[in-house]
Amino acid sequence: MRFVPALIFSLLISPLAAQEPDAQELVRLAMEHWRGLTSYSDMTMTIHRPDWERSMTMRSWSKGEKLSLVRVVEPKKDAGNGTLLNDNNMWTYTPKINRIIKVPSSMMSQSWMGSDFSNKDISKSTDIIDQYDHELTLREERNGHVFYTITSVPHEDAAVVWGKEVLTVRDDYVLIGQQFWDQDGEMVKSLETLEVEEMGGRAVAKVMRMGKVNTPGEWTQITSNTIEFDLELPENLFTLSNLRNPRQ
Amino acid sequence: MTLNLRMAWRNLWRHKRRTWLTATAMIFSNVLLVFMISLQLGSYDMMINNTLQAFSGHLQVQRTGYNENPKLRTSMESIQPLADQLRQALPQARVTARAEGFVLASSEQRSFGIQVIGVQPEYEAGVSTIPGLVRQGRYLQDSNASEIVIGAVTAKNLKIDTGDELTLLGSGRDGSFAAGVLTVVGIFESGNQAMDRSFAEIPLGYFQDMFTMDGHGHSIAIALDSLDQISTAHAVAESVIAGNDQLSVLDWNALHPGLKQAIQADFSSAWFMYGVLIILVAFSVLNTQLMSVLERTREFGVITALGIKPRKLASLVMLETALMAMIGLIIGVFLGWLVALYFNTAGFSYPGMEEMMERFNLPGAMYPAVSVFSMMLGPSVVFLFCMLASIYPALRLLRLQPVEAMRAV
Repeated sequence: MRFVPALIFSLLISPLAAQEPDAQELVRLAMEHWRGLTSYSDMTMTIHRPDWERSMTMRSWSKGEKLSLVRVVEPKKDAGNGTLLNDNNMWTYTPKINRIIKVPSSMMSQSWMGSDFSNKDISKSTDIIDQYDHELTLREERNGHVFYTITSVPHEDAAVVWGKEVLTVRDDYVLIGQQFWDQDGEMVKSLETLEVEEMGGRAVAKVMRMGKVNTPGEWTQITSNTIEFDLELPENLFTLSNLRNPRQ
Repeated sequence: MTLNLRMAWRNLWRHKRRTWLTATAMIFSNVLLVFMISLQLGSYDMMINNTLQAFSGHLQVQRTGYNENPKLRTSMESIQPLADQLRQALPQARVTARAEGFVLASSEQRSFGIQVIGVQPEYEAGVSTIPGLVRQGRYLQDSNASEIVIGAVTAKNLKIDTGDELTLLGSGRDGSFAAGVLTVVGIFESGNQAMDRSFAEIPLGYFQDMFTMDGHGHSIAIALDSLDQISTAHAVAESVIAGNDQLSVLDWNALHPGLKQAIQADFSSAWFMYGVLIILVAFSVLNTQLMSVLERTREFGVITALGIKPRKLASLVMLETALMAMIGLIIGVFLGWLVALYFNTAGFSYPGMEEMMERFNLPGAMYPAVSVFSMMLGPSVVFLFCMLASIYPALRLLRLQPVEAMRAV
């Protein structure tokens, strides 16, 4: 009768499990929800500083967890600049000099396109799923939604700069917030969702803002104007030649 | 008093040879101290000058706060006209305007993050040693050409040579993409690893164009001929920028906060060695004076019996030491001054030093600093310690018993 203890154990555990979804699963679903199988979006990035502000309009495509392409549309001066990501490799293209440059790993912590996002933030967004241990630390109900707060600590051997990350996910898997803490237990920067809207057939974070904790007057805001999910994307979209000579 | 002085002087020459031997020890240590300290102070001046000549200059005009937190946007407008103004106000100084940015530099094969400096090619050589350190190719010439001079380590890392193309990618002042393709015209080798690895210079005009600087720049470096001119030049530079409260003038101490501390640390550690020398001299004085007191026990006994107070005898012994130390001081400082003066004009260098300094585009000799401070510092300490050494023999006299003393052999 070896299964009896297991049975009792599962009976004990199951009511709890039904109420509180697995933290690991929540994070994975939130990331999938955000990217879809494939996605296309038209967005505006605003970089704010105490003495100036600047906006760029960009288009971005993604496929699965590994591939994404971002291209600047406005302002005219910067139109055509693009970034291609394949896994952890990053290339950037500048029409002014007509060159594709591979971004070396030593530059990954530098800012991406002058924003408060680092190259790493842009490229390693899905690392959190498999490089971290997740724990559900808070469950709240607000405005008819349940909000889960998950504390994620990187694995001992993970190549990650953060000491921990704290994610807030709504019950429809919209990522509401993400905090980046350093290894001394200080919060360094945080990403907040300011507006959630129904777009492309699901509720998504329409306005997100990234800001560092010790410079409150400096932030970068990304507003998605349109999002489409699970659309048909051509095979050659995520290639270096397409980065240089856009076909869409 | 004059009687005391005359007695002390005569007592001193009762043992001519012994007095001269002790005085010679003092003279020797004084000459050594004068030479060493003036050389040391001279080498600090050289160290400061060499550090400042490498790149930063003696003074810099910057937007306030740039030094602590260098950001592309913490810039000052119309930098070239301002540099011209400073050039006119300071005819004896060399002035150059600069702008600094961080870029991703990539060759055909590799990419690295480097610091890129926009310089005025016609003025940069007066302030920085880098133009003179170009080992391969040439330095920049035209203020708007798409040319770049890079460090030897950067060149090796990027696997490029003169004549090759280098692509720079960064963010402009307005946040736009800054990009440029430049030709490597020269490769410099400064011997400073940090500079050779992550430092490149391009013409200021090209820099301003590429980074959309709109006439802005980050610093105006001012180089002077000697450290003594700093305070006057500082005041003149302040008066030139007086109308603009966004700017400030920084001196070398603000630009290199570690330099002064390094010098202080070195100077205090040198005093360990000087201390040993001074204590040895003090002990030889103690020995001489103690001996001269002991051998005169009978004599002192007779004098006290005649009614002279032991306190007076003690001060006599102190006076003898003071006279002897004075001889050592005067002759020592004079000879030390001669030696320092000679090297002050001829320059002091050891074999191989000239070749070594040549590689860093720096002068090949050290020049001792001849000043009242550098001349008198060591000998005054020697004098003080000799006086301290004579206290014990003098104190012995206070306990002198006339009858016993007269019986002493």
